[in-house]
Amino acid sequence: MALWVDKYRPRELSKLDYHKDQAENLRNLCKQSDFPHLMFYGPSGAGKKTRIMCLLREMYGAGVERLRNETMNFTTPSNRKIEVMTVGSNYHLEVNPSDAGMYDRTVVIDLIKQVAQTQQIDINGQREFKVIVISEGDELTKDAQHALRRTMEKYVATCRIILSVNSTSRIIPAIRSRCLGIRVPAPSESDMAAVLQNTCKREGLVLPPELAKRVVDKSERNMRRALLMLEASKVQQYPFTAQQEIVELDWQVYLRETATQIVSEQTPAKLEKIRDRLYELLSQGVPPNLIFRGLVEQLVNNCDMSIKAKTLEFATQYEHRMQNGAKHIFHLEAFVAQFMNIYKKFLAELVMTDDF
Amino acid sequence: MDQYPDENEEFELQYQDELELLEDVPQEYDNVVVDGPSTSRQAAAALKQQRQQGGTPTGTVATAAIQDVSRFSNSTLSSPHLSQITFGASQTDAGGGGPVNRRLFGTPRGPTVGRGCSTPLQRLPGIQETAMDTAAPLPNSASEQLQEVGLRGNNKRRLERDLFGDIDDLYHESYEDPLLKKARTEEQRDNEAIERILELRRKLRETGKTVPHDEVSRLRALHDFKMKNLSYQIPTWPFLALQRSDLERLYVRYHSEDYERRQLELLSVRGNQVGSLLGEAKQQVWQDANELVLRRLTSATQPVCAAPAPPSPDMGRLWVDKYKPRKYIDLLSDEMTNRSLLYWLKMWDKVVFGKTFQSKQEQKGANTGGAGGQQLNSFNKRTGKFESNGGWRQRKQRQALNTNVDELGRPMQKVALLCGPPGLGKTTLAHTIARHAGYNVREINASDDRSPEAFKLALENGTQMSSVLNQDKRPNCIVLDEIDGAPRQSIEYLVKFVSDGIYSKVKSKGAKAEHNVLRRPIICICNDIYDPALRSLRQIAFVVSFPPIDAARLAERLLQISHKEHLKTDFGSLIALAEKSGNDVRSCISSMQFFSAQKQSLTLQDVLNNNLGQKDRHQGLFDVWGAVFRIKRPKRQLQQINSNNSEEPAQVTMTNMSVGTRVRNVLDVVHSSGDYERLTQGVYENYLQQKMPDPNFTGICEAMQWFCFSDMVQHQIGRQQNYSIYPYLQYGFVVWHLLFATLAWPKIAFPTRGFEFNQKCTNQLNIFQSLRKGVTTSAQGVGQGTILLLDTVPLLKRILSPQLRSVAIQLLSQKEQYDLRHTIQVMVDLGLTFVQVKSAEGHYVFQTEPDLDTLCAFPGFAGLTLPYFSRQLIAREVDLERIRRAAPKGDATKSTIASVTVSAKKPEAARLPNHLQTLKPKQVTDFSSRSGPKQQLTKDFFGRVTHKTTAATAMDEVKTDAIVKSPIWYRYKEGFNNAVRKDVHLNELL
Repeated sequence: MALWVDKYRPRELSKLDYHKDQAENLRNLCKQSDFPHLMFYGPSGAGKKTRIMCLLREMYGAGVERLRNETMNFTTPSNRKIEVMTVGSNYHLEVNPSDAGMYDRTVVIDLIKQVAQTQQIDINGQREFKVIVISEGDELTKDAQHALRRTMEKYVATCRIILSVNSTSRIIPAIRSRCLGIRVPAPSESDMAAVLQNTCKREGLVLPPELAKRVVDKSERNMRRALLMLEASKVQQYPFTAQQEIVELDWQVYLRETATQIVSEQTPAKLEKIRDRLYELLSQGVPPNLIFRGLVEQLVNNCDMSIKAKTLEFATQYEHRMQNGAKHIFHLEAFVAQFMNIYKKFLAELVMTDDF
Repeated sequence: MDQYPDENEEFELQYQDELELLEDVPQEYDNVVVDGPSTSRQAAAALKQQRQQGGTPTGTVATAAIQDVSRFSNSTLSSPHLSQITFGASQTDAGGGGPVNRRLFGTPRGPTVGRGCSTPLQRLPGIQETAMDTAAPLPNSASEQLQEVGLRGNNKRRLERDLFGDIDDLYHESYEDPLLKKARTEEQRDNEAIERILELRRKLRETGKTVPHDEVSRLRALHDFKMKNLSYQIPTWPFLALQRSDLERLYVRYHSEDYERRQLELLSVRGNQVGSLLGEAKQQVWQDANELVLRRLTSATQPVCAAPAPPSPDMGRLWVDKYKPRKYIDLLSDEMTNRSLLYWLKMWDKVVFGKTFQSKQEQKGANTGGAGGQQLNSFNKRTGKFESNGGWRQRKQRQALNTNVDELGRPMQKVALLCGPPGLGKTTLAHTIARHAGYNVREINASDDRSPEAFKLALENGTQMSSVLNQDKRPNCIVLDEIDGAPRQSIEYLVKFVSDGIYSKVKSKGAKAEHNVLRRPIICICNDIYDPALRSLRQIAFVVSFPPIDAARLAERLLQISHKEHLKTDFGSLIALAEKSGNDVRSCISSMQFFSAQKQSLTLQDVLNNNLGQKDRHQGLFDVWGAVFRIKRPKRQLQQINSNNSEEPAQVTMTNMSVGTRVRNVLDVVHSSGDYERLTQGVYENYLQQKMPDPNFTGICEAMQWFCFSDMVQHQIGRQQNYSIYPYLQYGFVVWHLLFATLAWPKIAFPTRGFEFNQKCTNQLNIFQSLRKGVTTSAQGVGQGTILLLDTVPLLKRILSPQLRSVAIQLLSQKEQYDLRHTIQVMVDLGLTFVQVKSAEGHYVFQTEPDLDTLCAFPGFAGLTLPYFSRQLIAREVDLERIRRAAPKGDATKSTIASVTVSAKKPEAARLPNHLQTLKPKQVTDFSSRSGPKQQLTKDFFGRVTHKTTAATAMDEVKTDAIVKSPIWYRYKEGFNNAVRKDVHLNELL
């Protein structure tokens, strides 16, 4: 527990730094006997997972924190071996179905169902059910979600499911209606600044408020990112100064540079260079929708008002198509080419109007 | 002269019946031919004797003379020896030879003429008309004879031409009449003659007027010939004297045997039988002719048969088989290829036949005392010679034939691999050349069982045994046809076999140490050399790739065949056929046979309008991309010919550039390949390199739309197995073609980007997975999946890059110490460590394991910035920390470490799980041997106590850390050594 993110992570509902009302509600929820399936949703780095862990501790006590890693192997019907890593205690099991990729249905059928079917051995425990935490639940394929819905109902006596998702839009309504949705909004900037200051105090460091604010800005209200950035900045330079450089994410910088290049030149040769950069981003595992988003944000910032709407329109169009396809590079490049097209036209018109 | 029939006999013969006469003909003329009068004097004597018998009644004499002449011609007709003379005599001349000729033969009456005697000369005007006769029949009776003459002239010419073929109509004309003559009057004969002439003419017209047009010149030549061989005066050359009906004497020349033979040769050359020049063939023909004569005699009343050349007797046979090259010289394939293969095969001679093979060039070199005397001489000298020679050897370099031989005298490349598209004659070449070089060909092709076992058996049998039953003890040469279809194991076996990797089973049992050495050449044949199964074979084989056959050369051969098969065609259409089939010989010949069976002719229109000869060729990827990015040059020689011949020339030429044709062409090509995904990728990676006038990106945008579309379609197909939308994939290529195609030759690179991308993705994913697995439960906050990758990893690189000076750990400042501790803790939490690896340059570097530097690494961004020394330090510390964490945390350990470990570690140690308490007894030993282990460990590997280590320990006492104090560093190396074994407890090391 060396990273600040782990070290200073609240472990009890009462020690949460923000959304305290919600914490109170959660504690009340635990006190009641009928605990529903839950779905925590909110942006990344808002504290969903922290709240889930706190909730579990509230229910089961400190035993939940005795975690162990387990790797489970499955064989899909098509005879493919997949490995799923789980983290669990005696009372709960955490799975990340995205490990299995498109075979997550097998995970749901085999693993979750199996766990759900088994009774809790320790009767002395406070609850007679176990909890399965599915992190990144929105990565579940439709098949897996459909496989899940019956399991949720049938084994409700022995098992509760807590989903942690970024957006409910990718969860099928059937699941959504079976869960109690708990929204965990991203912390406000002042909350974040307070957390950062608090952390530094516990570390015995002095953090200038300006730097804290800048870190918060850079982190896009992502608590995890903010803490990691602060820690990285600390390694780079300490004592802190207000104007010191904050470590940024490489891929974001790279993406930004790419967008700048798109605006700077519109030739087929440039398009090819852009393609190389896009390939690079994709191969490094940056999800294509994030690339799309990063590009669009930068391009819209850098272009004239008159073509902003058009850019957005094309972006949505190509992004949608991308979801229906498999080769993301085509769609990304198509969008870039389209933007180059409208941007060039815009420039040409600009020259024309300037002449007259 | 003795053997020559004397006058009495001859005189008798003249009065005999024709039938009798004819029966005697062969033997008589055999004699004549063989023993002609050797001198003119002898001939004169014979003449004198004949003259003594001259007082016979005029009428009889006349008929006798005519008969004589006619007999002469009869016999010559049936005898090839003299045929030229008589036929020559039967021809006429329009020029000044007239009077002489008239005097020579007088005016024959109808029947004699009708009998086809050799006297058409007296009718000079008629002769003038001969050329026209066939075209314009003259109705009046006065000219009937002329017609008859002319016609006969024609017929005879044809007869001469078809000397060995159509003896029947010759016979009819000349010999039917004499049989019936006696019983008929002149008028009757005339009528008959007229009828027959008309009949003949009709048939002639039917057969398509095969009269050659150079009549006059031929007549002249023949007349000249006659003038040389017939004379009124006693000539200087050997002769036979004859008396004509008008009592004129004339002298017919005798020729020597040599002359006859020469003439015969000329004849047979002019005929079709090139293969069998003399000997039996002649006898054969002779016999055939006699048989025909006899048959005609027995059924003499048969009508004249002037039907066209009868269809070839072997209709059932495929022409491909029939006209297969049987000799090296017949081979149609590229001479360079043939020769290099033959050269390779000849290099085996030393092993197979035991005689050294020297190429002619080498021999020449040896004879002239040049450089390359020995066969095994250096290659350079030879190449020098090759260069001077030019020719195929220079090009052979390209074919990569290694002319060196191994210690056994075998060529270095022990397998020849012929490759090329179908129908070029690879199999034929292999067979022909192997036979040419003196081998017995054993073919193993796709129809044979080629499972590894059967293949092995066949190979071994083929190379190590020879046929017992077969008469000729030729060594075997294995031809593995269609090897690209063989199972991979078989090919692997072949490769091993060829590279002498197969040892005999005896050896494996340990009895004999000799292994099987390949002593026979092996020729493999394949279509696609880049077949993955052939990869290993390709490396060791002598690869002969077949260039396409020249269309003109192929067409020439086709023309020959068409002549032989009486297929009417022309060179242009044959070239068209060749080009259409992609110079596939087999396909061309088959098409020709098809047309021949259908209608006996093959025109350009047929070639262009039919779908014959078109193959569903498998196009290479590059061909398809080429077709997409290139507008095909519209004009080809063939097309222009075509445009002239066809009805709508304008359309033919225009359509080539039109969009419709281009679209069709692209669709065809794309269809033939079919692998749309790869094709799309290829187009995608190449389209930006093409020259295109597209300033506004409109075209690119449109192209990209289609890329997106095809991606979506493919995804849908893959996901739902919905192949009904598959056909839509091909239209993208049309759009791309129309957008990007130019007339220039496009630069197309093989699309590797997508593949590399996929590989990199997999690689990254694997590293990431191992990173994920390594994350311990105490570091759950870093997230999972993409969060870990995108948020944590980039920042982690910075967090793990503290600024440390390259000094010993004790000399680090407070802050540095703290940073170091922090780094180590984080690394252990995340399951990271540094391992020493050898980089590509040969340096040793410390790399994180799993390799954090490659994750989220973008060009131009720094990864971990730690120097080598720090990494080394950290690696060591991380190892120690791991052991510490894994070790049972008792009081003693805690107390020793407590002073240096960060405070954060304390609660962790305190929270010791209960079940670990059972391990406590070990701590007792730890306690007891607190001073002990140092003593123990000062011993060296074999247990001897060394002083140096005690000194070191003394020095180490100064240090605070118990682990750093220890003189022995423990590092786990994989594998084990059981030479010395000693139980070492972990605690002793700590």
